[in-house]
Amino acid sequence: MGRLEAQYKLKYAHYPARSVRWAQSPKSTLIIGGIKISRSDFFRRPLIPWREKQILQPRRGVRAAGSSRTRVQEYIKDKMKDLLPSAIKNKEKRSEVHAKLKHQKKLEKKKKAKVREAAEKQALELGEEPPARPVPRTIENTRELDETVCKPDDEELFAGNDADEFSCILKEERTPKVLITTSRFHSSRGPAFIDELISVIPNTHYHKRGTYDLKKIVEYANNKDFTSIIVVHTNRREPATADALLVIGLPSGPTAHFKLSRLVLRKDIKNHGNPTNHQPELVFNNFTTRLGHRIGRLIQSLFPQDPNFRGRRVVTFHNQRDFIFFRHHRYIFETKESKEPQSKGKGKKEEAKTQEKVITRLQECGPRFTLKLISLQHGTFDTKGGEYEWTHKPEMDTSRRRFFL
Amino acid sequence: MPRTTTVESSGCPPLRALTFDVLGLIKVVEARGGQNGDAAKVVERWGEPDASKCVLSASILDRESRPLIGIARKSGSVEIISAINGDLQVQIPDLCQPEDDSIVGVHLLQKHKSGSSSRSCALLASTTKGHVRMESVKLGKTPEKSVRDPSPTVWNVCGSGNILCSKVSEDENHALFGGKGPPKDNLGIFTPTWFTCATFLSKDDHRKFVAGTNSHQVRLYDISAQRRPVISIDFRETAIKAVSEDIDGNTIYVGNGSGDLATFDIRTGKLLGCFIGKCAGSIRAIARHPELPVIASCGLDSYLRIWDVQTRQLLSAVYLKQHLTSVVFDSHFRSEAPAPQVETAAEEDKAEATPVKRKKEHRGTRKAKSKSSKRSKCEED
Repeated sequence: MGRLEAQYKLKYAHYPARSVRWAQSPKSTLIIGGIKISRSDFFRRPLIPWREKQILQPRRGVRAAGSSRTRVQEYIKDKMKDLLPSAIKNKEKRSEVHAKLKHQKKLEKKKKAKVREAAEKQALELGEEPPARPVPRTIENTRELDETVCKPDDEELFAGNDADEFSCILKEERTPKVLITTSRFHSSRGPAFIDELISVIPNTHYHKRGTYDLKKIVEYANNKDFTSIIVVHTNRREPATADALLVIGLPSGPTAHFKLSRLVLRKDIKNHGNPTNHQPELVFNNFTTRLGHRIGRLIQSLFPQDPNFRGRRVVTFHNQRDFIFFRHHRYIFETKESKEPQSKGKGKKEEAKTQEKVITRLQECGPRFTLKLISLQHGTFDTKGGEYEWTHKPEMDTSRRRFFL
Repeated sequence: MPRTTTVESSGCPPLRALTFDVLGLIKVVEARGGQNGDAAKVVERWGEPDASKCVLSASILDRESRPLIGIARKSGSVEIISAINGDLQVQIPDLCQPEDDSIVGVHLLQKHKSGSSSRSCALLASTTKGHVRMESVKLGKTPEKSVRDPSPTVWNVCGSGNILCSKVSEDENHALFGGKGPPKDNLGIFTPTWFTCATFLSKDDHRKFVAGTNSHQVRLYDISAQRRPVISIDFRETAIKAVSEDIDGNTIYVGNGSGDLATFDIRTGKLLGCFIGKCAGSIRAIARHPELPVIASCGLDSYLRIWDVQTRQLLSAVYLKQHLTSVVFDSHFRSEAPAPQVETAAEEDKAEATPVKRKKEHRGTRKAKSKSSKRSKCEED
């Protein structure tokens, strides 16, 4: 320990170490590691190096050696480390410090990546297993443990599936036939959305709502051998503000009530395709829990179960954090011939060298929307005496990491 | 910040509950208690999944020796099984035609005229169309050797409309049937109340009972006072689906179609509190443990939940995978070595024939007393 440092420590020993606080006095001085600095001085630019000269220079004509000065600087820097940029009130200074910190972090990250890549390369060369890449923590993969998640070896689940309302459609004993209707008043985007739904779901029939009760419509649809009803509600001429898309399974339910949001119609999608009349393929992602399973099956029962693979049409229901994203695409497999650069000049070998590479291209057909389940009702639509299999209640939102589908 | 609350839970006391579901499975849930407060878990599963064997109603004959469970199936048959190991004791097939009628309630009676040995029992079953049947069964060692009463007592409790709930009072002298009245006439002036569930309020007074209606009301009736409800309480927005009484005779537990479970003091009609935060689906059944201060609720969210009555905290939740229809407690379960236990008050024996009083609620046109006398006549026949 140098002499100067010892002096310094002795002098300021009565201050609490490593504390940064504004003193109570109206002069408002900052105490950093036992060094008193007035507020205005602190935020002026020369700051510490200049200040420390004033404070820490020995007064008795003893000049400090260069080495001890850097030591003091380091000491102050060490003290400053705990100071967050957000604690600095001067904006210029704050953004400067922040930018610096950010830059440092970026460099560190790059360095880390470099080291990891090098290690991986080395491992590959040595023929070893490369070290496992760390998986980022996301909300989905840190979701709260849910015991209702379906397991593939659960025989009760399959027995339950066989017994449920959709099994006759999913086993292709009945062809799905869907009735689409609206709320009592609708206009503008509602009909356009319904048109597009009709083009997505085969064997769909639009019926005008008129002034019928929904219960009467359910009765009618049962008599006409429909298997599902979809009710599109509109509010302010916009389906996505009405918060309601009802899907009713027939003849005995269940009724799912979804909130519909972020509706983009086909004509608003850039470079959209126009779907054909083929029966689409279905993709369901992440319907994991028992409830999710049931919702998935309910949606699945809207579509015929024998897709026309020639149509290359795919309808996706992707569940992520309880939001169900609907997308509708056409796809195509293209074989692309890529020539290798070496085969120049040699005409004979050129054909052999060309590689056939299959690439898949997607084209969105629309519409595009997001669904969120509000309730699942047992039986067909009945607001008065209905029983709910699941309803969302505000007290269930105990955590961001708790999902129900 | 996630809104989380942690509440000190004393853990689940040792208990045994049996649940019945739509696939006809019976699951035995046991909590061992103990210091570390073991959670309840499924220990046994009886039966094979079969949708046609969906359990509609169940009742336990809760006694020390040979406890029995009566189960009404969707296929129209009633089975009596042992509550210890699930062995089939008696099967009564074709109580009703499953196409147009279904069994609503089944009750095993503890005391009945033909002696009170543990080798026989009496059974009361009612159907949607109002056919009620009471018969006694002598149990054999195998289902084939059991002897059924050759002349069961059968009668009708309603001419039109549907029976949706039935309940037998604690002293087993009176029964209660409630349901949905016939559709309103072409003028549409009066709609009779649609009862979904009912229970007697206290052990010794059969005249007071509580009923839940489809129009989200809980009603207290006292037939000694008036025919109209004494108190009527509105509870939330969906139909009341389950009502259960406490042993103290003035607290009731109410569950509704959207999964709200609450407790009321029925003397004043005051809401004592809700059991919040967990139930997501309709509550189909509530059972009060005869001794411990716990209730069990189950329903369409496939969970059996055990709640503390005083603190209204969840003690345990068991996921049972199917929509549950009914739950009963086996109060003679001890987690450790079976020690001789004090019998519950309900265990007393009475050998005499007991008239069962019927109470039809949905129309309310006939006098209850006259029905009672009628019923005794049936008994004499």
